Amino acid sequence: MPHAPEKRSNAPIFWLLFGAGGTLSALFGVGLILVTGFLAPQGIGVAPEALSYENALAFTQNWLGKAVIWAVISLFFWHAAERLYLTLKDMHVFSDTGRRLLTYGVAALVTAVTAGLLLAIGF
Amino acid sequence: MSDRRPYVRPMPRDWWARRPFRHYTIRELSGVTIAIYAAVLLSGLVALLQGPAAWEIWRGWLASPASLVLHAVLLVAMIWHLRTWFQILPKTMPKLVVGGSPVPQRLITLIGTSVAIVCSTALVAFVLWRPF
Repeated sequence: MPHAPEKRSNAPIFWLLFGAGGTLSALFGVGLILVTGFLAPQGIGVAPEALSYENALAFTQNWLGKAVIWAVISLFFWHAAERLYLTLKDMHVFSDTGRRLLTYGVAALVTAVTAGLLLAIGF
Repeated sequence: MSDRRPYVRPMPRDWWARRPFRHYTIRELSGVTIAIYAAVLLSGLVALLQGPAAWEIWRGWLASPASLVLHAVLLVAMIWHLRTWFQILPKTMPKLVVGGSPVPQRLITLIGTSVAIVCSTALVAFVLWRPF
């Protein structure tokens, strides 16, 4: 009998993105929230013009700034996606396809939209 | 035909909300708040693309009390994520053997947590001392 080709699992890809997002947020998440949520908007230790339109645009038009923004937003979403997917599975809510669309689907969409926005902002 | 009636351990549908699994569920949902923070950043990116007027509105919201409360909640969840992430790390990674003896799990957790504290502190220090 001919052997059917082995069906490969796509789980490792999602686990890799989950792990990357989990590690990135564990290492820098607290610092990021302190900077963008408290220090910069309240002007604590940071000049008020730090968050000016020109500065934000300059940061976003820089290729390194773009890479940082893209990595942070998309990987944070991929991390949450894996955790929410498994939790919804535990809670027996939605069908498996529905759960995948709600979690991995949203993360994939956010990854593409963020890349599109960064390209639209230009260099 | 069989009279076999195997014991099936009862598993309530809300097992994830009960002890001792509640802790696990809270940990998993703290991961979801990370996406909420990313969504805040994403909304800023959209505002930036729309132009200076939209950016100023977003900036104004970021300084509002509502934003402060949201970020305080996100900060607590992020600290919880950081703490639990390095508690799970030694359980998910292959056993680390140095000099013939396994590295204790507690040591791996301690090192990971310390590296994270250094990284986040370095980020804040860089922002505070960088001349803008």
